[in-house]
Amino acid sequence: MNALRRRFQPEQIRELVLIALIFGIILFFGTQIENYFSPRTFTRISTSVAVVAIVAVGQTLVILTRNIDLSVGSIVGFTAYVVGTILSRNNDIPPVMVVLLAVAMGAAMGALNGLLVAYGRVPAIIVTLGTLALYRTILVEISGANSVLTNELPRWLVNLPPVNVFHLGDLDIRLLFFIALVVVVLFQFIASYAAWGRRLYAIGSNPDAARVAGFPAQRIVFTAFILSGALAGLAGFVFLARFGNITVVAGQGVELQSVAAAVVGGVNINGGLGSPFGAFLGAILIDVIDNSLIRWLAISEFWRDALLGLLILLAVATDTVIMNRLRKAWSRHELQISGSETSAEKGGAHHAA
Amino acid sequence: MPNPTEVHPVLEIRHVSKRFDATQALEDVSLVLYPGEVHALIGENGAGKSTLIKIMTGVHRPDTGELLLDGKPVHINNSQEAQSLGIAAIYQEPMVFPDLNVAENIFISHRKRGMIVNWGRLYRDAAAILAQLDVRLDVRMPARGLTLAAQQAVEIAKAISLNVRVLIMDEPTASLSAHEVDQLFRLIGALRSKGVAILFIGHRMEEVFRIADRITVLRDGKLISSRMRASAAELSSQREQVIREMVGREVGDFFAKVEVPRGKLLMSVRDLGKTGVFTGVTFDIYAGEVLGFAGLIGARRTDVGLALFGIEPAESGEIIFDGQAVQIKTPEHAMKLGIAYVTEDRRGLGLTLPMSIATNITLPTLRRYLNGLGLIRQNEEQRTAEEYRDRLMIRTPSVNLDVGKLSGGNQQKVMLSKWLNARPRLLILDEPTRGIDVRAKAEVHHIISDLAAQGLGIILISSDLPEVLAMSDRVLVMREGRQMGIFTRSEATQETVMTAAMGQHETTQVAPL
Repeated sequence: MNALRRRFQPEQIRELVLIALIFGIILFFGTQIENYFSPRTFTRISTSVAVVAIVAVGQTLVILTRNIDLSVGSIVGFTAYVVGTILSRNNDIPPVMVVLLAVAMGAAMGALNGLLVAYGRVPAIIVTLGTLALYRTILVEISGANSVLTNELPRWLVNLPPVNVFHLGDLDIRLLFFIALVVVVLFQFIASYAAWGRRLYAIGSNPDAARVAGFPAQRIVFTAFILSGALAGLAGFVFLARFGNITVVAGQGVELQSVAAAVVGGVNINGGLGSPFGAFLGAILIDVIDNSLIRWLAISEFWRDALLGLLILLAVATDTVIMNRLRKAWSRHELQISGSETSAEKGGAHHAA
Repeated sequence: MPNPTEVHPVLEIRHVSKRFDATQALEDVSLVLYPGEVHALIGENGAGKSTLIKIMTGVHRPDTGELLLDGKPVHINNSQEAQSLGIAAIYQEPMVFPDLNVAENIFISHRKRGMIVNWGRLYRDAAAILAQLDVRLDVRMPARGLTLAAQQAVEIAKAISLNVRVLIMDEPTASLSAHEVDQLFRLIGALRSKGVAILFIGHRMEEVFRIADRITVLRDGKLISSRMRASAAELSSQREQVIREMVGREVGDFFAKVEVPRGKLLMSVRDLGKTGVFTGVTFDIYAGEVLGFAGLIGARRTDVGLALFGIEPAESGEIIFDGQAVQIKTPEHAMKLGIAYVTEDRRGLGLTLPMSIATNITLPTLRRYLNGLGLIRQNEEQRTAEEYRDRLMIRTPSVNLDVGKLSGGNQQKVMLSKWLNARPRLLILDEPTRGIDVRAKAEVHHIISDLAAQGLGIILISSDLPEVLAMSDRVLVMREGRQMGIFTRSEATQETVMTAAMGQHETTQVAPL
């Protein structure tokens, strides 16, 4: 137990527990579903998790500052549709430009959110609920009820999902999943090592103290929303590549899935605690359950949503109950280390008084 | 008024003691409240007044001693129980619900008025209570638009509707104008004639001597004296006696600042003001000097600190820093000038609690720890934190520990480290030793003295009078947003400073306003 304490902080234990839980669930479904342990299952889950994982990383950045971004679902749909439409009219745009276009479009939409929240001081839940409806409505308006169709898209894009980056034994790491991995690693790195990331946590932990510490808190919140939008834009591109056929309802519900992934992954909804990696694990856990339940005949379609909801409640409950216990156990231990000091302090006080 | 000795007391507090960690908040305090009597409770900040109120209203339970209501011992476990026993408290800031109307506010705590609101009766009953108090107020008006005095009238009406027998008023006049104070005192008169026992906590001497029948002084958690108000002839000698009793603390065990030659002029502040907060703050501060800011709660000393650091900027007056006229509008700007502010509000403005000691210390100066790629050099950061841990004697096994787990004194040292690391030339310390134990306090005093010796200018805002006197080269006294005077070390005594802080009479030292 002591070795455990020295090596890990409670937040890291939480992530280890998540990983164990994911493996536990996979083992369970392995006994329930025929041919579950196959490379195909891995491929299916890893490609389907990519979109939500990318969005959840952006969502995490925003939640860390004590805000929330509910417009990401609309941004995913908007970029997927608009980029798809542009590509179907002009198949020759270079791939790099396509990705940049999607990211820029998302960033612009995120900037509007950030402007209103950080500088306009409107609560994020109001702003992004508004832009969720606004971006979707604009999409419906410009679409004229048409859909993007796979056969109008350039070949390279349609052929993207099965592209492998490398193999891990029998398991294929598909490009779309690889993009998500890169995003997670990059932002985990920024969160742990960059000044910007550090300040993100400081703002969420104590906005007042952040203001007094003399760094541009508003600009940092603004940037977090831009990044959330940009990542949603990137996810829109992945969405387009994966599905090909895009209707005006594309990406609906992604906002809730991303919030769920972050919360299940240990990101505190009140800001200041959590990590992009945790949100990634949360996204995987939800996706594994979702994907497996579809194939598990023992359960009806309607129960899938209920189970997902139950999982979120469970995550929040463990957050408050178990994490508090862990933290207490940890600090008891630390008090023991400094125990002699503490008693010396008391004794000193006594004498002086 | 009946002679209290023939009347049975409503509430008796007998030999009550209460301890919080290192501080003995109350020690063997006894107090008797009679019906129809206004009992004033006075004392410096930290004398134990609030703890006593909290014990009476069931927020805290006494460690030893008991409370007797009508001669029978009672145990009060929460404010609802206190209320049902007829004990209620109203505070400086009235707690009304702004969106409910006056009548609803008066009856908000009534649970026996049935499931369905009989609006007609509600309004009639509310109007009847207000009429008893001779208050003219539309009972249908939402509380939002009411003045503070009117809100207090609503609170008092609420207490009456609950058949209050003991009403505690905690500095009810603090934010009222003179006219509103008159109105409030009329209400207190009405309550007195209804036989309510009133415990009145106040800081303004003239008000205390105007309204109180009996005056009790607390100091350092102990009851010092309790007496009936003197007749008009002896009033002024009694006032002086009371002030002496409030401040008569032992100064002996305090570490005194080491005198160093005054350096060059660091900052001049002229006629600094902010509407409705403070006016006419005028002082110079030199390198190597500790300028104490003394005053009671509500003197607005912290607001001056917040203004000088740009958190709540001043609106008028001028600040000359290092010979340059400056307008400090943001903390960034203040930091650039070389000003740092260590807040009194450790958990609010001070520390980011779930984060580690090291990350807290480097937060305002993070830019210094970045490498070429904009990443934090965590080794460097670690080294700085460990340096301060050794220098300020922060007791912790590791600088990576969550600051929230440290004791108050060590948290205070982390905040000091954080701002010392910004290498300021002017350090504003706001209540740097509040709520920390004696040993940590002495250490903080040594640190302050050392820093001044190194040439820092220090503004020391403190409600601990002996501390201000021992640590300051000069003491600036404020009272309700006004500067009452600046005393040199030899002029500043507990009596002169407290007299100025309480506005007993304007001193000859009053700075030009």
